Amino acid sequence: MIKFEDVGKRYPNGYEGLKHINLEIEQGEFVAIIGLSGAGKSTLIRTINRMHDVTSGKLTVDGTDVMTLSGKSLRRFRRKIGMIFQSFNLITRTTVINNVLTAFVPDMPWYRSVFGIYNQDEKMKALEALDKVGILDKAFVRADQLSGGQQQRVALARTLAQNPEIILADEPVAALDPVTAKQVMNDFTRINKEMNISILINIHHVDLALKYCSRVIGINAGEIVYDGPASEVNKEVLNEIYKRGREENE
Amino acid sequence: MSIYDKIFPPKKYTLDNGKAVEQKRSRAPIYVIFVLLMSYISVKVTGFDPATLAKRGNQFFVILSRMFPPEYGYFNNIVNPILDTVKMSLLGSALGSVLCLPFAMLASTNICKNRFVVAVMRLIFSIIRTLPTLVSALIATFIFGLGTIAGTTAIAVFSFSYIGKIMYEEIETVDMGAFEAMEAMGFNRTEAFIHAIVPQVMPAFLSNSLYNFEGNVRYAAVLGYVGAGGIGLILNEQLGWREYPNVGMILLVLFVTVFIIESVSRYARKKLV
Amino acid sequence: MDERIVKAYESRPKDWIWQLAIAVIVIGLLIWSLGAMETSGASANGGKMAINILNGIVHPDQELLFNLTKEGVPYLLVETICIAFMGTVVGAIFSVPLAFLSASNLTPKPVAFIGRILIMIIRTVPAFVYGLMFIRVTGPGPFAGLMTMSVTSIGMVSKMYIEAIEDLDTKILESLDAMGCSTWQKILYGILPQLMPNFASTAIYRFDINLRDATVLGLVGAGGIGAPLIFAMNAYRWNEAGSILIGLVVLVLIVEWISTKIRVKLTRG
Repeated sequence: MIKFEDVGKRYPNGYEGLKHINLEIEQGEFVAIIGLSGAGKSTLIRTINRMHDVTSGKLTVDGTDVMTLSGKSLRRFRRKIGMIFQSFNLITRTTVINNVLTAFVPDMPWYRSVFGIYNQDEKMKALEALDKVGILDKAFVRADQLSGGQQQRVALARTLAQNPEIILADEPVAALDPVTAKQVMNDFTRINKEMNISILINIHHVDLALKYCSRVIGINAGEIVYDGPASEVNKEVLNEIYKRGREENE
Repeated sequence: MSIYDKIFPPKKYTLDNGKAVEQKRSRAPIYVIFVLLMSYISVKVTGFDPATLAKRGNQFFVILSRMFPPEYGYFNNIVNPILDTVKMSLLGSALGSVLCLPFAMLASTNICKNRFVVAVMRLIFSIIRTLPTLVSALIATFIFGLGTIAGTTAIAVFSFSYIGKIMYEEIETVDMGAFEAMEAMGFNRTEAFIHAIVPQVMPAFLSNSLYNFEGNVRYAAVLGYVGAGGIGLILNEQLGWREYPNVGMILLVLFVTVFIIESVSRYARKKLV
Repeated sequence: MDERIVKAYESRPKDWIWQLAIAVIVIGLLIWSLGAMETSGASANGGKMAINILNGIVHPDQELLFNLTKEGVPYLLVETICIAFMGTVVGAIFSVPLAFLSASNLTPKPVAFIGRILIMIIRTVPAFVYGLMFIRVTGPGPFAGLMTMSVTSIGMVSKMYIEAIEDLDTKILESLDAMGCSTWQKILYGILPQLMPNFASTAIYRFDINLRDATVLGLVGAGGIGAPLIFAMNAYRWNEAGSILIGLVVLVLIVEWISTKIRVKLTRG
């Protein structure tokens, strides 16, 4: 379970990226986070695996205070959290399966990880992950020869190979065409239901968010302005979330 | 407005309709004066005298003519030294190239966030690079004694700084996306570097290392002059004894060797791109 | 489902064989090279030598460093600069016709080919060979050094000039032609403006390198700071050697910094 208790993030120049965040997300939820660009969606997601630090309040994941982690404990913590990026972030010059296999590197001894020597067990697991997202046949193709949608699925397979409890997705479908975007969202849904993995997804496409996610969180200027079921998101709610200049009106 | 513009104000062009535009005066006169001045000083200091060249210039070609035809029989004395030269540059280039990678990683601002470390690493690279190879070979002969180890060390040191600079410049311009993903997966910075960055810079690394090896073979030939092994020693000897046909043979073999290596290297480098 | 995965695994490309072969060859070459490594004695003192050298660098001979006569470091550095400068200028001047003759877009193929081979030959002969030959012409001293530098420069400079010439944008010649320019004018206004910045930049780059190589000339008695350095080291006068080394490194760093600035200006305009 992810728990934000009055969490805030203040940058060195005084700008407050997140303010008074109070949030509880149970294991197995599929949550969409929507809001303007720069509202704080990315920041919020990245505090969970401590890619960004929080400067006030308490953020716990399954009881562990994120800010108490560092070095080895932080890395071990991150193993359980998968992250999907808008630009896929694959190693383009190598094969699809090599990309998925990197999920096993942090647990390998140094002499295997430096030279990229994976054993049969790991290779089979990687192939299974690829199969789960439906691109088993592309396993030995070079990653940069795939389409955008396929590359994102490779990224998804890589995350699955980690065996995570939580998946954080930062604008995963922003670079994809509508048809491929729907396929990827379907993949997310399947993973969420079949494997009971919590999924938090930053997304611009409100329609996709409402269609696939049961819970929606709206962020505006670093604060949560809506937290509730997708079914209750109507035009007023959206206006509130996407309103500009909220600061000046306060 | 720089100082130059204050002394020589820009030229103003005014059209009939009143609009005006300024053209800054060309800096060319300064450069020309500088070059002429330097040339004058240099000629005085070095004693450059075209007349001497005209009078005694033919001596150069006399020596040259004595090198041909080369003494083919001398080949047997050359085989081992020339192979030594190639081996020295191969080992030295390989050592230098491989060793520089961790330091290049530390000299890149996008991998190493500690400004002090980055600055120190870059300074080390710069200083080592300004050291002429021959000088470091000389120093190496004092530390390691005469022979090929000294030469290999000198070449390794040079390769270290040459490839190092190229690599940290390359690393800085790399796409950090995969690196970020690895960190999010729980890699430490070194692991992430090896798996995300190294594959991206590998082609540049290999290509430049090969090019470096090519150049070092020619350098290695000179190192023998200070006793650091290779064919330079014999070459110097034969020149001193004025055995010009032998010298011609040495040069011929050297040329053929360098030609072969350069051709192979050029082919391999094309394949890498 | 499992069966498909097993099949995919079995049919994975076996390019590890290829990689292993290359690795074996490379390691084999390196081990072969190792066989040539030998040294004749003096390795016991090696450590002590290294410390002495470091000592000399850290405590340089201040007198020598600031001595302004002909024997002092500053004068020798100036002499080295002059050798490198004139050497680059003369070398660049000789490289121009050579490059034009060897450019495949200006001369017929056989001529260009011969030109390139000639340049390669010139490039392969080690510098000190030229040094000794020129000493026979001009006598020992900086003049010989200058001539040697110019010949050694020809190798790299011609090669880069050839690249610049072959990269020439000939479309501008077309427009000059359409405006009614003579051949001479076409060269002056179409070709030269493209080549000039490139030629100058190359020359400056080579000047940097020549500065470092000029110290080598001192070894053969062709002037510059190389000779005192060698003498000092051979006589184990580490403090002197240290001061010379410091002077040299500082000089090269400064010149490199200045020349980089100029070259950036040349390319950006």
